[in-house]
Amino acid sequence: MNASERPRLGRGVRLRREGDGSAMLLVPEGALMLNGTAAATLELLDGHRTVGDIAGALAERFDVDVERAQRETGELLQRLAERRFVELP
Amino acid sequence: MTAPRALSLLCELTYRCNLACPYCYNPLDLRRFRDELTTAEWSRVLAEAAAMGVVQVHFSGGEPLLRTDLYELIAAAHGAELYANLITQGTFLDDAAADRLLAAGLDHVQISIQAPDEGLADWIAGARVHARKLDALRRIAGRNVALTLNCVLHHDNHDSVDAVIALAERLGVGRLELANVQFYGWAFRNRSALVPTREQIRRTGAAVDAARGRLRGRMEIVYVASDYFSDFPKPCMNGWGSTFLTVAPNGDVLPCPAASAISGMRFDNVREGSLATIWAESEAFQRYRGTGWMPEPCRSCARREIDWGGCRCQAFLVAGDAGLTDPACSLSPHHARLQALHE
Ligand SMILES: C[S@@+](CC[C@H](N)C(=O)[O-])C[C@H]1O[C@@H](n2cnc3c(N)ncnc32)[C@H](O)[C@@H]1O
Ligand code: SF4
Ligand code: SF4
Repeated sequence: MNASERPRLGRGVRLRREGDGSAMLLVPEGALMLNGTAAATLELLDGHRTVGDIAGALAERFDVDVERAQRETGELLQRLAERRFVELP
Repeated sequence: MTAPRALSLLCELTYRCNLACPYCYNPLDLRRFRDELTTAEWSRVLAEAAAMGVVQVHFSGGEPLLRTDLYELIAAAHGAELYANLITQGTFLDDAAADRLLAAGLDHVQISIQAPDEGLADWIAGARVHARKLDALRRIAGRNVALTLNCVLHHDNHDSVDAVIALAERLGVGRLELANVQFYGWAFRNRSALVPTREQIRRTGAAVDAARGRLRGRMEIVYVASDYFSDFPKPCMNGWGSTFLTVAPNGDVLPCPAASAISGMRFDNVREGSLATIWAESEAFQRYRGTGWMPEPCRSCARREIDWGGCRCQAFLVAGDAGLTDPACSLSPHHARLQALHE
């Protein structure tokens, strides 16, 4: 997914935080356990922030270089978009 | 063994329905379920489910919109932070109902059709309802809620699969579920008329693959295979008592929606105990949880934690004992009985 896109969660998709800090993505007919990076990424989607903004914030938060964060964030969001868990406005 | 965390609750609010689909998996003998839980009892079930860690609730039946308290129950689920899913055939889904469902906090609706064209659809449903169902689909597609179109595939409509996909595209639904008929309840009774041919299964598989490629990112197609045509069984319920539980209209708590057909199995009822205790301790849930109950060939099979020995209800219906390897498995000594149906 391009750095300039402004993704948001798909219709009927909800992010849920558990008491222990772990997170799940609730989707029609199922729940997916998320790892820490995926949860942190999805938490930032609001239809306004760009993929670039999100990757920048994650790079800072997890102390990785921006280029890698860009690539990984784009890939993750692309995969989720193919299943319509993430959509572009 | 200690109970894992239940994540998903199916509330079968009623088995009443105005249609008569020959493929319906609902139980044949409805007398036992006539004394339906009250609104207060269902609300308690939802609160208990949320407290024990369930995250998603599916309202189904029968036709759930025949329960006038459906909106209240969806609101209760939503209030308890449960993801609320409605599974309906749509014949009662008018504008007012749609407004109330959305206001109650519904997350997702699944609407089923019997076939893509009116004549065949109404013939399968046993009533003139297809046009009304299409109205419901358009109504929901135009609102801010996720929508799945569902069509159960069997001998009489397998050949219409391309038209079902085209209809889903025209309606603009985000998700299409094409489910091969699973043989429980009425479907088991009517199995010889419903079972598709091997050629139908092959052609539909190819049509689904092609459509998936073409529609990637626009529409998700969920294809539920037919275990009558596979070498290995489905991982039914992802393992008995592992994540799913069903509450039947009368409050019986079932490890699988089809389990009430297993004669001799006793089910605890939410009127007499808490959902959490029943999930963790009831005999019905304990009986086939994990792998300890397994006979050969499952016991020593490398796939035992992939498919969990398949479906207990199917083992009961086809092989006469819920504690046997699912006869859909090619390694089952009863596999020939299941194959006899379509060969
Ligand atoms: C039992 S129905 C109840 C909800 C509603 N009456 C309806 O038909 O949409 C639940 C869902 O299961 C599907 N279904 C019914 N019988 C089935 C079967 N034998 N195999 C697979 N799916 C089935 C229906 O199409 C529907 O999507
Ligand atoms: S599948 Fe649904 S609509 Fe058809 S008879 Fe069963 S409950 Fe009614
Ligand atoms: S023998 Fe049992 S565990 Fe092995 S594939 Fe068949 S059903 Fe699954």
